[in-house]
Amino acid sequence: MSNLGHNYGTVRIQGDDPAVNTDRRRLLRIVGKGSVLAAFLAQLGAAGRAFFPNVLYEPPRKFNLKRPHDYPVGYTFDAAHRLYVIRNANAFHVISAICTHLGCNVQWKGTEFDCPCHGSRFNPDGTVISGPAPQPLSWFEANESPDGFLQVDTAEPVARGFRFVPPNLKA
Amino acid sequence: MRERLSKLWRTLAWSWSPASERESSEAIVKNFWLHWFPVKVARASMDFNYSFWLGTASAALLAILTITGVMLMFFYVPSTERAYGSIKDLEYAVSFGRLLRNQHRWAAEGMVAVVFIHMARVFFTGAYRGPRAMNWLVGVALLFATLLLSFTGYLLPWDQLAYWAVTVGTGIARQAPIVGNTLALILLGGNQIGQQTLLRFYVMHVFFLPVFAWILFGYHMWRVRKDGGLAAIEPLRNARTSTPRETPAAKSYSLFGVTVGTSVAVRSSMQLEERDQVAASPNLIRRMMLVFLIVFNATLAAALLFNAPLEGPANPAVTPNPAKAPWYFVWLQELVASTTIHLGPYTVSGALLGGILVPGILLAILAAWPFLDQSPREAEGLWFARNRNRQNLVFAAITGAIIILIFVGVFLRGPYWRLYWPGMPRPAMPTLM
Repeated sequence: MSNLGHNYGTVRIQGDDPAVNTDRRRLLRIVGKGSVLAAFLAQLGAAGRAFFPNVLYEPPRKFNLKRPHDYPVGYTFDAAHRLYVIRNANAFHVISAICTHLGCNVQWKGTEFDCPCHGSRFNPDGTVISGPAPQPLSWFEANESPDGFLQVDTAEPVARGFRFVPPNLKA
Repeated sequence: MRERLSKLWRTLAWSWSPASERESSEAIVKNFWLHWFPVKVARASMDFNYSFWLGTASAALLAILTITGVMLMFFYVPSTERAYGSIKDLEYAVSFGRLLRNQHRWAAEGMVAVVFIHMARVFFTGAYRGPRAMNWLVGVALLFATLLLSFTGYLLPWDQLAYWAVTVGTGIARQAPIVGNTLALILLGGNQIGQQTLLRFYVMHVFFLPVFAWILFGYHMWRVRKDGGLAAIEPLRNARTSTPRETPAAKSYSLFGVTVGTSVAVRSSMQLEERDQVAASPNLIRRMMLVFLIVFNATLAAALLFNAPLEGPANPAVTPNPAKAPWYFVWLQELVASTTIHLGPYTVSGALLGGILVPGILLAILAAWPFLDQSPREAEGLWFARNRNRQNLVFAAITGAIIILIFVGVFLRGPYWRLYWPGMPRPAMPTLM
């Protein structure tokens, strides 16, 4: 304390005078300084809160792709939405192309997905073969919109094995 | 003729000029710009073979980066639609724009290297003991600021490297325990990299981080002076004083009460004799100018010889293969790629272990080291002192490991991040799928 304390010598600071320094005065002083400090901290908090966005101008998480019959059998990469549409005869399912490690796009190599960033490898169903990816690739719910487009909701993860068979698919 | 010209210059530019060493010393004390120089500086501190002038070189790089950076701000537009185009304009439409960008880029990479080597110098000379511990902490913060400046800087061109480096970088932040998702939300300004991300990184890069770095730099310099100059003088001082050093009975400050415990003593170089010292003006000032000129010309030469890389415009659909971080972060990329652990049903992602825990622990040890170091104070200010051998070896081993990881990442990693030894054929990768 001696390091930091200020030596005022014989000068008496008014607030330190026991005759003047009543409980009432001390309370008023604490309330006064405290309210100014509280207002300052509240404004700091308000400034910080501005960094949490309330409105996101991002593409919707539920969107339409092409019509089901436009997809060939096999794995089709949708670059705009970073996912794979997989058609097996008449059944569809959708697997995310975003690597669960650090978010690069995995590539379909015919028998497996490979990630170019850190070398993770995934089975055709998205489970991890090897590499740093901690989790399997996500599966998303697929559906058909009323006007006949394949519809995907990336906010709705589904279990592996999910299949969507469009009711009136023209083969 | 020459004498007459110099006389003319004197009458035009000077109302007074120093006629003696004493007068030039007073000029330093009285001058606003020069007041942070000492009046006298120890010969040992000036020695190139002690410090390699690395601190001055770092400061010169910071100055060059600020000047070229402000120049670039006149041409750069922080918008996702126009950022890449404005970099192309700098390269092809603005006179000497490419030179400016090149110099900014090479100075930035040089600063990461020089700041690190400066830190290694301070470590190997044991120059962080006693009151200098505080300045070591400031230095660690400056190293961190340098890395953050580099990271925020390379998103700005909005090219493929930028986009995917920040995808990986914010992916690592997301893995931080508890606060990860919030941290990623604040960094990105949303759930994905977009306009808000670019703007946030831009403001950080051109305002908050440089201001932070300059304030810390000022404090760093002030501390060097108040802690008695470079530790190079300690062996000399130890030899001169037979009695153990006591706290100097000089003025002491407490900087707004921040420096609790150790007061910032003004340690005079009283134990140094006249013949150990030279006047700071002109010796130190001339040397600083010389270092600035050398560093400036080195970055300029690099800018003339090599172009700063610019990949294709950012494309969220196509990840470059392989997608590599810049060399000074490649060692982290190696770590995140190889440290995922599976323990029965539990999986620890490499992003958490290699991306956050390992560098975090390294940084914490680095910051705490002056307070853990038990080596005798006689080793202060000596290169590779024998009684610091063990810790010097550990420091060198960690640095060596990082350099090896950087080498592996830069030269040996091919498509899909697989190892290719030199000479092994690498499959040609189409840039677009």
